[in-house]
Amino acid sequence: MSEIPILEVKNLHAKVADEDTEILRGVDLTLAKGEIHAIMGPNGSGKSTLAKIVAGHPAYEPTEGQVRYLGQDVLELDPDERARLGIFLAFQYPVEIPGVSIANFMRTAMQAHLDEGEELDLFDFQDQLLERMELLDMDPSFAERHVNDGFSGGEKKRNEILQMAVLRPKLAVMDETDSGLDIDALQVVANGVKKLHAEDPEMTVLIITHYQRLLNYIQPDHVHVMVGGRIVRSGGPELAEELETEGYEQFRAPA
Amino acid sequence: MSVTTPGLAEGVTEQINREAVEALAAEEPGWLRERRLEAWSVYESTPIPSKKLEEWRYTDLSKKLSLDELSLLPWAERQFSEANAPSELRSAMASDRAASGHLVELDGSVARVDLQDELASKGVLLTSIRSAVQSHPDLVEELLATEAVPAESGKFQALNAALWTDGILLHVPRGVRMELPIRVSRWISEAGRALFSRTLIVADEGSRVSFVDEVLSPDFTRQTFVSSAVEVFARNGAQVQFVSLQRLGRGAFHLSQQRTLADNDSTLDTLNVSLGGSVARIDLNAELRGAGANSDMLGLYFGEEDQHFDHNTRQDHRAPHTKSDLLYKGALDGRARAVFRGIIKVHRGAQQTDAYQTNRNLLLSNEARADSLPNLEIEADDVRCSHGATVGQLDQDHLFYLMSRGLPRAQAERLVVMGFLGEVLSRLPLGGVVEKVSSIIEDRLRA
Repeated sequence: MSEIPILEVKNLHAKVADEDTEILRGVDLTLAKGEIHAIMGPNGSGKSTLAKIVAGHPAYEPTEGQVRYLGQDVLELDPDERARLGIFLAFQYPVEIPGVSIANFMRTAMQAHLDEGEELDLFDFQDQLLERMELLDMDPSFAERHVNDGFSGGEKKRNEILQMAVLRPKLAVMDETDSGLDIDALQVVANGVKKLHAEDPEMTVLIITHYQRLLNYIQPDHVHVMVGGRIVRSGGPELAEELETEGYEQFRAPA
Repeated sequence: MSVTTPGLAEGVTEQINREAVEALAAEEPGWLRERRLEAWSVYESTPIPSKKLEEWRYTDLSKKLSLDELSLLPWAERQFSEANAPSELRSAMASDRAASGHLVELDGSVARVDLQDELASKGVLLTSIRSAVQSHPDLVEELLATEAVPAESGKFQALNAALWTDGILLHVPRGVRMELPIRVSRWISEAGRALFSRTLIVADEGSRVSFVDEVLSPDFTRQTFVSSAVEVFARNGAQVQFVSLQRLGRGAFHLSQQRTLADNDSTLDTLNVSLGGSVARIDLNAELRGAGANSDMLGLYFGEEDQHFDHNTRQDHRAPHTKSDLLYKGALDGRARAVFRGIIKVHRGAQQTDAYQTNRNLLLSNEARADSLPNLEIEADDVRCSHGATVGQLDQDHLFYLMSRGLPRAQAERLVVMGFLGEVLSRLPLGGVVEKVSSIIEDRLRA
């Protein structure tokens, strides 16, 4: 008897709310606990849309199918409810929040993860935050900066990894975390994810990417190719290398 | 062709008229009676500002103010005791314990004044203007409604100068530096009234003082007009902080007309916080008239439902090496509306001036609206000036980002708004004010 998958996407169709064009046209995908999956695909294939729908972005509307997280259909849940169940999305374009420090943001988020009536121990939180930053080789002063305000591309992505480290999700979806990063920043981010996965091998990671280069640092268990709103092929890590040399042309459906 | 019929000047009503001014002045010294009557003449001969005037383009007084329905509230002997004070006033004052002095004004009459003995012995004067007319006539005659906010400044400045019932006088003598702020609490309880109060602050050479004025009321079912004239003098080298915290109830029309005059090397900072009232208009004219004078001008507003805020500011650089830095920020929910109109004026000869002006608005609903009109008028050539304005939405992507970390929607909104407004408060970290304003806004966002 097999364990309940952490994420099970069944025949998922979706579109941008207020528009008619379908972006996802029947996605099927199953992630077992602790696995690392990569979804690769060309621009416009729908891979980022899938990431946002799993996290609950209101701009996208699922029209058919299911997204089950640990057996529970989550499509009707608000993004915060999903987050509290353990789903985390590392954003491709993290939002700037002037006037709110990372520490304050994380403290508020941690408090939100507690049950009603439970109070976050502030000293305990402070210790945890410092410990998480140490794990990721980050300077403690980083937590005093305002969330993404004036951050470089690399700093924004590191901030995403820090939040992931603090919140300890069960499922981390990384939406093009590698885009716009130079090789040093890419390594920092990849090492962070690897450390977190080593620390908690039950954490499942879904990497959404256009390029293979991030996968040079984080070895996926499974690679899926998404084209035209569907998973068109799945395989092992060798599939990523194949895509790198041969590109996505072979998967383009004839008109 | 339209002719104004004599005796039917605009804004003269059954209650608001020359007889009322004469009655008020009956027992007063001659100079004051004369000053009131002159102010009244200016009022009578000045039309009510219409929307055709640039400065009143977005606040239509013919719709927003019903002078005909207002009655005057005469000065009265009032006693303040904390035990009998309304709970809103009591809780507002509860967080004001750390102070150099307190003054309480109830319905336009000063009811209590406390000042630390040590400061009184150094010559600091904190008193009601009404009693200062008797006790310190020279100071009042010289500076009340003369240089800073005289009747000639406009229709409502004239009305206040004619009809004020009481107010606050603070005089800090040369070299006296006060560690803790002077805190003023003004409570208004009577609906349907027009109230006129004045504040006169004189900080002599090298002195230092912070002044926090808080005005509160319950919600009113009838319009209540609250007029405040604020005159602040910073003499050479003085450091002054003036904070106005407006927490009136719905139904109140608050009109605060302020002028700050900064002499050589003085610092004269202001913070205007508008949270209450149905209509709140602030006219702030900051004059940097001495070389090396410096003014930070901060503003913060939070509106909801159909609240209407109108800010009209002027940074008036008349001397060289002066600096002003204005930052007004507001968040608007419901159908609330905010107007910011600011001008930087650098006069010929005010060389090596730095003048900055920023207004930022955050709209929390689709029906809220903000209009921002920054403006520069520069006659000197060696200056550094900048101005900017933004009106932004709290958008779906912001909220989604915060919610994706587990914050419920309302909490996500609160965090963004507090972060946005917090920048203003962090620039004037005056004891008690930051906490008070933050908690009021958080409570309202929670509601």
